Amino acid sequence: MRNPRTGWLLLSPTLIILIVFGFMPFLYVLFVGFHEWNIFAAADGMHFNGLDNFRRLVFDNDFTTSLGLTAKFAVFAIASEVVLGFVLAQMLTRKFPGKSLFRIIHTFPLMVAPIAVGAIWRLLVIPGFGPVPFFLDRWFDLTYQIGTYPDQALWTSVIMDVWHWTPFVTLTMLAGLSSIPREPVEQAKVDGASRLQVFWYVTLPFLRPVLLTTVFIRIMDAIRTVDEVWMLAGGGPGTRFTGIYIWRVVFPKTDYGYGSSISIITLYLTIVLCWLLFIAISGRRKGEVE
Amino acid sequence: MKKLFTIVLLLAFALLANMSLVTADMHGWWAEAAAPYAGSTIRGVSESTPPSNYVADVLAAQFTELTGINVEFETTSWDQMYSKAINDMEANTGIYDFVYIEQDIIYSYLAQDYLVNLTQFAADNPDLAYEGYDESAFTSFADYFKNADGDLFGVPMEAFVKVYLYRKDLFEDADIMAAFEEEYGYPLAPAENFDQYRDNAEFFTAYGESMDMDLWGTTVQGSTGHPASTYEFLESIGPSFGLYNWGINLEAGSAQSANGGALDGDTAVEALSFWLSMLPFAPPEATSSTWDEVASSFAAGRAAQGWVYGENAAWIATDESRSAVTGNVGVRLPVTAEGVVEAASMGDGYIGYYDGGAFGVPHSSRNKEATLLWLQFIGQESVQAEWAAAGARITHTATFDDPLIAEQDTKVDGYYTLLEEQGPLFAGAPPFPFHAQVREVIDPFIQRAILGELSPADALSQAAMAVDEELDRLGYGM
Repeated sequence: MRNPRTGWLLLSPTLIILIVFGFMPFLYVLFVGFHEWNIFAAADGMHFNGLDNFRRLVFDNDFTTSLGLTAKFAVFAIASEVVLGFVLAQMLTRKFPGKSLFRIIHTFPLMVAPIAVGAIWRLLVIPGFGPVPFFLDRWFDLTYQIGTYPDQALWTSVIMDVWHWTPFVTLTMLAGLSSIPREPVEQAKVDGASRLQVFWYVTLPFLRPVLLTTVFIRIMDAIRTVDEVWMLAGGGPGTRFTGIYIWRVVFPKTDYGYGSSISIITLYLTIVLCWLLFIAISGRRKGEVE
Repeated sequence: MKKLFTIVLLLAFALLANMSLVTADMHGWWAEAAAPYAGSTIRGVSESTPPSNYVADVLAAQFTELTGINVEFETTSWDQMYSKAINDMEANTGIYDFVYIEQDIIYSYLAQDYLVNLTQFAADNPDLAYEGYDESAFTSFADYFKNADGDLFGVPMEAFVKVYLYRKDLFEDADIMAAFEEEYGYPLAPAENFDQYRDNAEFFTAYGESMDMDLWGTTVQGSTGHPASTYEFLESIGPSFGLYNWGINLEAGSAQSANGGALDGDTAVEALSFWLSMLPFAPPEATSSTWDEVASSFAAGRAAQGWVYGENAAWIATDESRSAVTGNVGVRLPVTAEGVVEAASMGDGYIGYYDGGAFGVPHSSRNKEATLLWLQFIGQESVQAEWAAAGARITHTATFDDPLIAEQDTKVDGYYTLLEEQGPLFAGAPPFPFHAQVREVIDPFIQRAILGELSPADALSQAAMAVDEELDRLGYGM
């Protein structure tokens, strides 16, 4: 007979780590979110202020603007990564000369730390010194200045994110494609299905769990993006995403109470977004059973 | 003759012997005082600047050799430096034994009682007090790091002013001078007023374009993703127009003109309008430039004139491996509006920013005694001159008279003389205990003005309102 205590015993190290480093900090942030607490305020310490921080963020233009920018960034970056990742994964399921080399080179960006990615891209695009603005100006007479044009800063952030994370999507998609059984695909072809029909009715349903997981991971990453974009453009107009806004409120401004409340709301929005996406992609409705 | 020669030889030998005895004695003192801490490691954090890099590369190794105390000195970005230092001191974690205290943040740190009173600590530990270290040897810049009783909370490690730099090779070129005079009707010269500054900027931008050169008329520290732009406006451009203390009236607790402030007043709007009007004459990297990039742009020969932090003046003027304009750098006081210099001379205002910083010991440090030795080491007279030559910073009065600095002064077009003689016209940041908090509020408005999304008047009006809200929230409002 199984002893449940053995299971709990084996799980306990992980549970303890999760509680100490995951759950308890979350509870602390939740607690701080209901307080006015700035270490450089005239009054010392934390002061309970109920829902004031949450009320304040509803009217905070900088916060709502950051949410809009983050949404734009996430939608374009993730959509591009999924499409590109799928195409590249499909390509890598076939044989072609130099495939192994391509796969290694393609995976390189994943190995680079986000802060280094930001630094590399900053060196590439900084006006006056970077090669990108130089050649855009010389060859196409295009003015490219991420410090002057917020839209250019945003699109550069999107492209940088796509460059950095598409290999991750490619690898997960490749794993998903490799696990699809050959029989249903061959059966569909025998039945006269076109390539698009095979993709839509066979490949995509099989890929759905992988796709869902990949998109969830990327959404969470995109919403909390700070380091590489901060390095690239400092979080100025066009790139003041929610993660950067939280960083500015919590660190330079030391407004811990308000920063905590924004963090909690951002987490809540992330969970809701993922849940909505889960419903949309999995097609699952209330009461449905797998 | 032979007798005289012998006497001279003996005297020289005696002098040398005495010197070596003094040196040995000095070495002996450090080794003896540091003996209980030998093998320990003290850690510090600072912004990566020429003076800090000299500390990391030269002084730390010298100190370790003398004392056996290891110094781990982290030089990082300005933002990171503040985050790390404040988090460490607030959480009392004791990661850092000494932190860089920029002049503008000292009031916040003192208000939070983050720092050890160094004067008191040295008095309480007479065995650690080095006789070659004298608090009265510092320039008056050290006063920023003292409390009302005159006790020191940070050992000054850098002090400099933000000056007007210009390229002598361009301003003294006969053809260029003739072309300028023909176009503007008066001789080309380093700017002494804002109209002249604008003419110079416009002329050199057009000149660069016509000659297909990478040359623009002025620097602008106008990063839209960094507080550097706010700093240039509030601490350099604003004061030169007569806007002081960021336009915030601390007594009234307001930045709005209606309540005694000046951030949205006519002077502020005029200053911001002028500064923004310089953007078309600045290199394309201006809107991505912090103080570091401004120095790099000028060193690369991309600007004919500009406002540049003095800590960069030495390497721009002398370091051929990093600068394309060595030997051609002119240094002057920054341009000011009428009456501003006179007012500053009488102590009624200031013309620009006297920047700098000190190393202080957080209460959270676990190695205060060893760190006190280290701070005395970097604060002693004997290490100052070479440090000043490398980093264009002077914190000791006597350093101005050092032969090495006198020699360097000629290469930097009298920057050190200017610092000594005109330094009192400049001032540090206002004594706000809420420095970074309020600056963070102002940043987005200045950045939107740079992008042209807000007019100068609207940007400053909205900024002043936002500052007042923040002051209320922090408990410093009306």
